[in-house]
Amino acid sequence: MEFIQRKTADRAVSHFLLKAADQEITLTWDRFESQLPECGFCESGLSCRDCLQGPCISHPFRDQSKLGVCGKDKDTLAVQTLMRLVLKGTMSCLDQLNDFADSVKTGEIEPADKDRAEQTLKAIQNLLENGDSEVVKEFPTVLVDNWKTTGILPQGIARDIFKASQRLEGGICEMDETLLWTFKTSLLGCMADRLQRNLKTAVFGNTVVSELEVNLGVLQKDVPTILFYGYISPVIKQKIAAAAQEKNVSVMGVCTDPLLPPYRFYPVTTAASQEIPLMTGAVDLIVTGHQFVNPSLADVAKDWKVALAPADGLEEKGDLDAFARQIVEQAANTFEIRQNIPKDVPMVKEAAVMGFSAADVDVKKIAAALESGKIKGIAILAGSNNVKYTQDETLATVAKEFLSNDILCISDGEASVSLAKYRLLDPTRQKKNCSEGLADLLVSLGDNVPAVIDWSMTDFLIVLSGAVKKSLSDYPICAYFPEASRTVEVTKAMWTVAMGVSTYFWPCLPVTGSPKTQAALTGFCKQRFGASLHVITQKIDARTKAGYFLKTIEAPAVLSGKEWEQS
Amino acid sequence: MQVIKVDPNKCTGCHQCELWCGTEIASVAKELYPAINEEPQPVARVYVEGKKLALQCRHCVEAPCLDACPNGTMRRDPKTELVYVHEPTCIACWMCVMVCPFGIINPSPTYKVAIKCDRCRNMGYPICAEVCPTDAITVEERKDYRKVF
Repeated sequence: MEFIQRKTADRAVSHFLLKAADQEITLTWDRFESQLPECGFCESGLSCRDCLQGPCISHPFRDQSKLGVCGKDKDTLAVQTLMRLVLKGTMSCLDQLNDFADSVKTGEIEPADKDRAEQTLKAIQNLLENGDSEVVKEFPTVLVDNWKTTGILPQGIARDIFKASQRLEGGICEMDETLLWTFKTSLLGCMADRLQRNLKTAVFGNTVVSELEVNLGVLQKDVPTILFYGYISPVIKQKIAAAAQEKNVSVMGVCTDPLLPPYRFYPVTTAASQEIPLMTGAVDLIVTGHQFVNPSLADVAKDWKVALAPADGLEEKGDLDAFARQIVEQAANTFEIRQNIPKDVPMVKEAAVMGFSAADVDVKKIAAALESGKIKGIAILAGSNNVKYTQDETLATVAKEFLSNDILCISDGEASVSLAKYRLLDPTRQKKNCSEGLADLLVSLGDNVPAVIDWSMTDFLIVLSGAVKKSLSDYPICAYFPEASRTVEVTKAMWTVAMGVSTYFWPCLPVTGSPKTQAALTGFCKQRFGASLHVITQKIDARTKAGYFLKTIEAPAVLSGKEWEQS
Repeated sequence: MQVIKVDPNKCTGCHQCELWCGTEIASVAKELYPAINEEPQPVARVYVEGKKLALQCRHCVEAPCLDACPNGTMRRDPKTELVYVHEPTCIACWMCVMVCPFGIINPSPTYKVAIKCDRCRNMGYPICAEVCPTDAITVEERKDYRKVF
């Protein structure tokens, strides 16, 4: 059983934890504690409820009950649990792409670059039908050839997703083969992610490096405020942002893409504390998507009289401009009605620079520094918060350890917001955390480059692989997901491994019930892709977690000071 | 004397008690993930049987295992009145296994000793009761039915 020692490292959130306790408001951490101990069979991937004869378990401590009703053993159960997570994560990438492509196809928005938008839509159609999509050509040839040889190169969204999902229905299949299907599925997610990025560029123009402010202090007391929660179609976001600008309504976001040219949505907080912004009293309306949004928001919103507007539903929205205007008007009206609600906005906000791409940073300099040994390695930090760990603590500690050991840190998505809260994305603080070699490289990359660079991980890896002489797996590059919680993060971890980058993932994936699956994620994957997905079961502190990568590049060992935590 | 009470109407047969008993009492690692893959396989002291009922030792007032044990390996703690196996002296005659009316005592598959629930007598609270998600397993003071009747 795990018990939380400290809930968050974010001082703005800490302030509201006390307030929530006083007012008896239940937050994520309280619900987690009431769930303990969580089901051990599910945690270790030894359960299954894919049919109505179950639910079944493979009992680790009994001689009976080793097989499910249909005969699934612990290896099958574990690898299928992983498959289920990856399928769900891939679906969330595909849903985002589908949503966006639909909006563009129906002419709800005029693309900035029509030709490119049409090409991308064609590439999406091709990926859906047969996998012979232009997007595949964006990946390094060596990688694509390896995927083809291994049999995991996607052959069409429809075909692959249907086939992969049927692996959960039954059949006689080796564990290794199911694992390869899992990788194949994750690559579909990777390509969908890439296509979505391409479509965003075609429709809204290039995302430029932008200065933002992060954390609860960005909320404004004197103007109506709309918050975007979770993934929302960029078209809807753009329409609402445009309408809000006219009416002087501020628009910010939680767990949503903060950059949508020409708009910026300041990230108010990260996943674990997503209920907190409503408790400031400075939020008037929230527009909610489905991905990454806690259903608990509805209750908190009710308590604080915050208006709720779902971004999509069963019925078509119709005229999106009218919908956006209606949302903005509703926010303005709610602001007037909520005048008597006390506002408590902590003065905690940090500057950050986000949205880097190959257009802003000369990747050849990074490649040269890596090859010459000027930097010892590259670490990609990704993932959101997980209530099982102190919020943001592991991410920030791991990043600081890497920076002080000459390791270039690239952050992706929600991890960037977490790290920005600790000023790691603030260019003025660049030298404070970095060791000499890394600091020199960052200075050579430009004036406004922070210690941790916010860059889409897939985009970065593709660009980097074009700049280095050997394949990515030959370099000291790794990906860390130290506080992951969502299925899409599992999918991302899988495709990162398929791209030849070893990945460390916490909390440990639900495959621990099967030593064979666990071993395959390291040994088998190493053999096929030159990289492993490390599932670490020991309870260790954040600095020791950073030590796993440092050990591989022979950096000085990180000592936590606790002997028993050294593995 | 405090004993474990199991409410069959609340038991969902989730096997959590077995899982955590195996981890906490029977494994070397005392943590779930390493315990799952431990060799020899840990053996839980509680059994979830048939129609969803967790079975542990009842610590009978007139315990037949105590009478059957030929060399005093099966003992009753004078303070807590809990019945336990003093493993170093067990000769693996399995008399206790045969006489237990609930089938709670079992031969260890690995070592030549009898294994049974001792209601986590060295811990503050039995692990099965702590982890039971429906509170089907609770710890209650045993009523002295000799006085009741």
